[in-house]
Amino acid sequence: MTLRQAQGPHRQAQGPELGTPIQGVTLYSFTRAFHGREYDLDQLIRKTAAEGFGPGLEIIGFSSFRGFPEIDDHFAGRFSDLVDEVGLVRTSLAVNADIGLRPDRLMNQDELLAYMRTQMAAAAKLGFPIARVQISLTPDSMEALAPIAEEYGVTLALEVHADQYASHPRILALRDRYEKVGSPFLGFTMDWGATVTGFAPSLVEAYRRRGASEELLAAVVQLWDDFYEQGPPADQADHGQRFGRFIGLAHQHGRPDLGIDFGINGTGLFGPARVDDWLEIMPWVKHVHGKFFGIDENGDEPSVPVADLITLLVDNGYSGAVSSEYEGWHWNHWQNPFEIVRGEQAIQRTAAEAAGSRMITDAAEARRALDAHLAHAVRA
Amino acid sequence: MIPDRIIEQGTLTTAGGRASVEVRLPWYRALPASCISGAKLAVDGVEAPAASLRWQMNGEEFTFAEMKNNTAQWWFPTDSAVLSGDLEMDAGEHEVRVDLELYIPYIIMSDENSADSVLHIEEHDTKTMTARQVEEARA
Repeated sequence: MTLRQAQGPHRQAQGPELGTPIQGVTLYSFTRAFHGREYDLDQLIRKTAAEGFGPGLEIIGFSSFRGFPEIDDHFAGRFSDLVDEVGLVRTSLAVNADIGLRPDRLMNQDELLAYMRTQMAAAAKLGFPIARVQISLTPDSMEALAPIAEEYGVTLALEVHADQYASHPRILALRDRYEKVGSPFLGFTMDWGATVTGFAPSLVEAYRRRGASEELLAAVVQLWDDFYEQGPPADQADHGQRFGRFIGLAHQHGRPDLGIDFGINGTGLFGPARVDDWLEIMPWVKHVHGKFFGIDENGDEPSVPVADLITLLVDNGYSGAVSSEYEGWHWNHWQNPFEIVRGEQAIQRTAAEAAGSRMITDAAEARRALDAHLAHAVRA
Repeated sequence: MIPDRIIEQGTLTTAGGRASVEVRLPWYRALPASCISGAKLAVDGVEAPAASLRWQMNGEEFTFAEMKNNTAQWWFPTDSAVLSGDLEMDAGEHEVRVDLELYIPYIIMSDENSADSVLHIEEHDTKTMTARQVEEARA
């Protein structure tokens, strides 16, 4: 791998070229259809290609591959043939740091490194250039994983997901460590759920269908809006207090059964940071989860600023992948997830063009762009 | 989370004083046996004794104690497991309730990384269905 000149944090001042993000999807968007046995893995991959949701393809290892992270040669070959046949481009394999695999005894660092090595080997074997990892990995773990990432040629992109956000102390500590380590194989996955602008209306509708009163629903939306005004939680204690406020609201309105659900979604799915918060880590963004929750009757995403986020990526020269990640499936059992993904990707393409660029939708161009994007070193 | 799918409709069977029902994972990704920390099975409000509960997946049957340290067997999201326990019932219509306790091994709830800081979720589902009488207890 060739290391190119660093794109330090001051890159923007030099007037970057506009980015051309790569369109794509994570099969997580279709969890309900896969779990419900409507589509098996092969069928979902074919459907993704036929619908034009690619070229980028992201898959969660433990969701889609039986026996993961053990992947036999025969399966890997068959998978690769299928992806090539339908003209998709593998972007990220989502892997997990299952530190609590034995809940009574958390993994020590050596066990964790061995566990992650197996999954990184699986990513390489399945042809994914990126492995999405999560916040349970510390700066020390990421530093220790860097040489393993290099050995397999797999970039580790740690997901910045609500209730964290780019300028959260834990994320800044990781960024500072990346800067010190200087490996081009360490970075972040930007998850748009950290920068949401409202409590998703489709979830409000789901609570309505579960018998929540209009008064309670209005109070939940107002509480979220109040937290949005205050900005994201300063730390885990602040986060915990907000969680408690949602539970309290459910109790006040005689629906204690909904309290935990309000708290989980109100704090863990709908993060209230501002879009420009991402500038704190932009040079280290290796992958993007285009997280969203629904498309309304006007064709808009009412609670995620999709167009602003795409504009931010274009303006900052991002030419990596954006996996559309529809998460409304948790509660929305009445709408078709394929239609919803189609709607969000239309917003992305329109926004990229309005910003003076475009989304890459051609597979060959996507491969070249992804190769170039991942080869960027980010030594400051 | 999809708790409404835990109990597979129409899979309640009874034989030899035991009841069994097929259950689905209410989560999006596979979990090892070690993270399936407990379950309850009740028919018409009567709970099967905890010690009589058995969990069958990937063709093997386990007690919950046996699963505690087992990280080799995984519950895949599209597979049904079978939960069974000592319960007498006739072949008519019954209300079945299943409670599941799961650990989510990658979500650590405190900064201390201590044991018992792993996210623990409880999910339940209730469905009404007709029990099928079978010859063998482990059909």
